Amino acid sequence: MTRNEHTPFSENIPAYAIGALDVDDIAALEAHLKTCAACRTELAEYRAVSAALLTATPPKQPSAELRKRLQSRLPSAQKSARPRFSWSLGQLAVGMALALLLVLNTYSILQMRSLQLAQTQLARQYRTGQTLISMLSYPTTERLAISADDVVGSLLLDKDRNIVALIVWNMPQLQEDMTYQVWLIDPQGDRVSAGIFRPESGQAYTTQISFPKQNLTNFVGIGVTVEPAGGSAAPTGERVFKVDF
Amino acid sequence: MRDQTKLIRYNEPVNDVDESALIARVTQGDERAFLMVYDRYASRVHGLTLHILGDPMLAEEATQDTFLKLWSRARQYLAERGPFLPWLLTIARHVALDRLRLEARRPALSDSNDPEEVWQTLPDLETVAEESRWRSTYFAVQSLQPDLRQVIELAYYQGLSQSEMAEVLGWPLGTVKTRLRAAMEKLRELWNEK
Repeated sequence: MTRNEHTPFSENIPAYAIGALDVDDIAALEAHLKTCAACRTELAEYRAVSAALLTATPPKQPSAELRKRLQSRLPSAQKSARPRFSWSLGQLAVGMALALLLVLNTYSILQMRSLQLAQTQLARQYRTGQTLISMLSYPTTERLAISADDVVGSLLLDKDRNIVALIVWNMPQLQEDMTYQVWLIDPQGDRVSAGIFRPESGQAYTTQISFPKQNLTNFVGIGVTVEPAGGSAAPTGERVFKVDF
Repeated sequence: MRDQTKLIRYNEPVNDVDESALIARVTQGDERAFLMVYDRYASRVHGLTLHILGDPMLAEEATQDTFLKLWSRARQYLAERGPFLPWLLTIARHVALDRLRLEARRPALSDSNDPEEVWQTLPDLETVAEESRWRSTYFAVQSLQPDLRQVIELAYYQGLSQSEMAEVLGWPLGTVKTRLRAAMEKLRELWNEK
């Protein structure tokens, strides 16, 4: 290698040794160093200077707190700071017993809630049955037939006591976000909501009793539509059946 | 002269055998040995981090990080490849420069987290001077012309490349290269005179 070819690399060695050579020039110099013993020797000398610069700054004692902070980061300090869990066999047995009690308790609460729900449903069915019996036994109660495709049943209308009851068979089951809504129809064709209901699961028929605020004598018919859960202000969905009084 | 006395006092030669044994104990998780190493070298590490960062609080954090790295990586120190102190100070320099770059939103050093790179930046064992020779470097740097000392400061203690120095100083790149080369040659001459 001629001196002219060697010089550009040689000139970059001091900057390389001190870590200031630009990235673009590093690869070329490193490739040259692999083949040039003279440059490697020169680099070693400059690296010695570079290493010496590490100690060319005046020593300075850090604060005493730094030593304490460092000490607190060591494993022994971490262990003593950490709460210790050491369980005896007796404590373990008590702990397991408590856990078992907690599980049993939770199971009991869930069972109780399920029983309460069943009890409420039975009570509601009982009240509905009693109301239907009383309506059927009342002399002025009208019985009107319900018939629309597969849906059949009876409408009990007690205008004296302002009660209307539906006993309907084969009402299709609904999606969770839908409900049936009962509408009273006045002579002008306007609809007033008389309640919402869903078919009871496991039963072929559905009963729905309404106690409208308005007098039943003001209405000429009743209808049921499918509406979004919670009901609508006016009918929006498909009509299931309609009965004229 | 008073500064030189102080420097020499802090640079007291370390007994190699004791030091090796101490580091070996640190690698085995001996906390007492670790704190002895801290007591011995904390001022050297902190002097360097403070010089680089210029802020006592940041410098203490960098010093702490350096010793925590020593605690977790002491096993990577190989006595046969060079003395312990420059190895530790090289870690301290990288930690401080990384912090400096973080504060200034500049990219981190590429070799900062690679312990193998630490060895590559150190001189070969044969060329490692004794610590007593290193002490003179401080005075050698101080004896440089201000413009030459400036490029050494920016390159070594601020981690700037030649292009970055040209931008910071507003000098042509060629001037930076010439002055850095002149500064390093001067230091090498002073070094070889010892």
